Amino acid sequence: MKISRRDFLKGSATTLFLAGFNLPALALTSKKKNLVVIMLRGGMDGLCAVPIIGDKNFEKKRKSILIENTIKLNSDFALHPKLKGFNDCWNENTGTIVHATSIPYTQRSHFEGQNLMESGGRIPYKDKTGWVGRAMKLANLEGDGLALSLPMPLLLRGVPKNNNYFPGRGKLPREDTLELLRSVYAESSEDELLEMMNYIKKRKDEEMIGGYSSHGSRKNKNLAKKAAVYLRKASGPRVAVFEVNGFDTHAAQGGVDGTHTECLVEMDDIIKNLKDNLKETYQDTIILTVTEFGRTIKQNGGNGTEHGYGTAIFMAGGLLKKSQVYTDWPGLKKKELFDGRDLNATIDARSIYASAMSTVFDLDFNRIRKEVFWGEDLQDLSNKLFKA
Amino acid sequence: MKNFFRKVAFGLKPEQEMPSDPLTWAQKQVENVAELNWKGKYILSEKEMRKYWIRQRVEEDTILRKKFKNDPKGLKRAERQLENETGRKFWQNNEICIRHAEGVRSNYPVLAKLWYFWTNHFTISKTQSLHNFSTGAYQREFIRANMDKTFEKMALEATIAWPMIMHLDNKDNIGPNSESAKQEWRRKEKRPATLNENHARELMELHTISPKAGYTQEDVVELAKIMTGWRPKWTKKSDQGTDVRFMSDRHEPGKKYVLGKEYKSGRKSLRIAIKDLVNHPSCREFIATKLCRYLITDNPTKQMITPIIKAWEQSDGYLPEVHKAAIKVAFEYNDKYRKFQNPENWWLQTINMSGNTYAYPIPEKRIDQFELGIRVTEEIREPDRLLMDIGCHPYKSNQPNGYSDLSSDWLSTELLIRRLLYAKKAFHRYNINDQLDNNIHEKIIRTNFDNPDKILKIVSKGKSNEEKHMILFNLPEVLRA
Repeated sequence: MKISRRDFLKGSATTLFLAGFNLPALALTSKKKNLVVIMLRGGMDGLCAVPIIGDKNFEKKRKSILIENTIKLNSDFALHPKLKGFNDCWNENTGTIVHATSIPYTQRSHFEGQNLMESGGRIPYKDKTGWVGRAMKLANLEGDGLALSLPMPLLLRGVPKNNNYFPGRGKLPREDTLELLRSVYAESSEDELLEMMNYIKKRKDEEMIGGYSSHGSRKNKNLAKKAAVYLRKASGPRVAVFEVNGFDTHAAQGGVDGTHTECLVEMDDIIKNLKDNLKETYQDTIILTVTEFGRTIKQNGGNGTEHGYGTAIFMAGGLLKKSQVYTDWPGLKKKELFDGRDLNATIDARSIYASAMSTVFDLDFNRIRKEVFWGEDLQDLSNKLFKA
Repeated sequence: MKNFFRKVAFGLKPEQEMPSDPLTWAQKQVENVAELNWKGKYILSEKEMRKYWIRQRVEEDTILRKKFKNDPKGLKRAERQLENETGRKFWQNNEICIRHAEGVRSNYPVLAKLWYFWTNHFTISKTQSLHNFSTGAYQREFIRANMDKTFEKMALEATIAWPMIMHLDNKDNIGPNSESAKQEWRRKEKRPATLNENHARELMELHTISPKAGYTQEDVVELAKIMTGWRPKWTKKSDQGTDVRFMSDRHEPGKKYVLGKEYKSGRKSLRIAIKDLVNHPSCREFIATKLCRYLITDNPTKQMITPIIKAWEQSDGYLPEVHKAAIKVAFEYNDKYRKFQNPENWWLQTINMSGNTYAYPIPEKRIDQFELGIRVTEEIREPDRLLMDIGCHPYKSNQPNGYSDLSSDWLSTELLIRRLLYAKKAFHRYNINDQLDNNIHEKIIRTNFDNPDKILKIVSKGKSNEEKHMILFNLPEVLRA
């Protein structure tokens, strides 16, 4: 195997760490790098977000839900015209799309699929931790995860002390009351409750919903602004996780103003607000999307689409190598389709995720492959997609 | 022992005497479906609710938008008025009151806790405004009303209930070779007849046999074919809100094969297919496991689920027997396992143990003052906000698999913050006398715990009764049951 200079550096950093040198020295020289994952639930239609140009067959199969006035990205692919935030990233050379990719799951159940997109495994409900959580554990990043949702997503589980932010209405109890509960949790070995209480004790009242000014503070686009504030802090979290629901458009998927578009715009607003509010920290960040599967190429009678297989991944951030559509395009002729109906996946999405985490967490790709993804046959795409 | 009353119900009220035979007390409650405790005037049928749903959808999308196309402010006003007239923000609150009254005011809290289990099993998630109008009524009429019938009957009725057919898109599941497929208008309007697999998949995966049964994509497609034609009856006048019927012109002709069994073409096949699915061994195993997970532990053992499966087999899936078996298992494992309670059940436990059910849910007479057309008061809107806030709204789950029964899904910083905030809110549900009663916490604790002195010692560290409430209802002994 060819070892690039970057791999070597990563390897040695890891070795240093394992040898017991602690991080402060390293932290001074290396910048804090952030990973933001946006989970797109319901099955994001990669061909609605990033349609192929000039494929008559494709256009014929999607007559009433075809996206018009798309933005041309290159000679083969275009971008949905409402994705203005991502388009800005693209124009600044920090936007990448990986197309015809998927997690290795082909059974078309949302719940199994979503479980696997978060666990990173192959058998639904088998693994109780997520691929981000496991990688954070490997990188010794305890207390560095932030979920922008009310429950804690599976994706982040596997490393203790993750926090979440989804502001509540009202005022927190007095410090003494919190301390009392904290000590009870400690005495009763309620470790998870204890971790949470430690975070609550640090919460400030202005992080709660009080007056009218906080209207809409639970909307994804506003959560993105808040997350950016946390991520910018040197001592803040390094990983943030968002969720966008509603991609499952079996009916009335619609064209440029349809329901699938609304979901894509919600995703786009997260990217845009992160970029604007991370400011210079955007340069040290990778934002990427995950979804359980793509959608059928052919629209159904209700102007919707069914559960499919291959889809696309959006990535943005200063750690991207350049703007590109990275794909090994399988084609859309009947015999080229998965099961004769779906866009095929030629890249295991987990190769992208492992490569991204290798870049952000400064971990050797092979360690991630072995310890986070059980030694599965994943490709190291770090050099192709990300900056060293 | 006292933990059992929180495990299968919502604890005991401060002055309530402990039933001498807890197991019988619990099992008796599930023998029949009792009349609803709620005596308010608004208990509408699912069918009646569709009228409001239709009016909201049709007028909002067409009439108002046309009429006010150049007047955004006027549109907003008109939309608000329409909302008041259809009760868009009213019905769900009314229904939550009906639902919660069963848990904390009725003599059948065990039945209520199991009702909540089934409404989650046959979830209608937040889509197409169904949560605003139909879901509450659906949960009463198709789920609760069938809790003293067989699982087969509940599964069948839930499957062809109008909200479920709408929710899982079976309306658009049309046989590609059906009569309707050949009609000219489909070509003209570019609406070809195609299968929609959504409902068929969830019927197997979520409602009956679960993926453990090992069905294939082909089985899903074949079951979808059996389901073609089951949709709201289409008439020239209207397609919206009509009763679900089998429309043979939309049914895919020919034989179908699901899990190796042949099904004939026609309306009878769905009934037979559901019968076969509910009698599949994976179905009873799946449901028995889910019941144990809900009541006992995240990781049920074989010993726990076996008696429930047995009761199912002996009674042909008669739900009172299945429930009794589950309650017995919960009773036997009461001392050994403590299940982390989901937010809704925790809230009802908090209210019930506090003894302020005079104030929550809002009394009927207050709700009955509401008339369609007027603005819904903040007081009436509270149940909906409360459930969204604590992260467990039974009409608004994001996906058809409903809410998780695993404790890890209910553990996060924010979710714990919500419990602190809502324990305080529960305290403020008290009238002044109870707020000032310095013995109130001792009463609650002595009634509900086997180790009252230890708990009392911790709670007494609170400086005010309000603080004591926040502490008590966030102790591990209360969060778990």
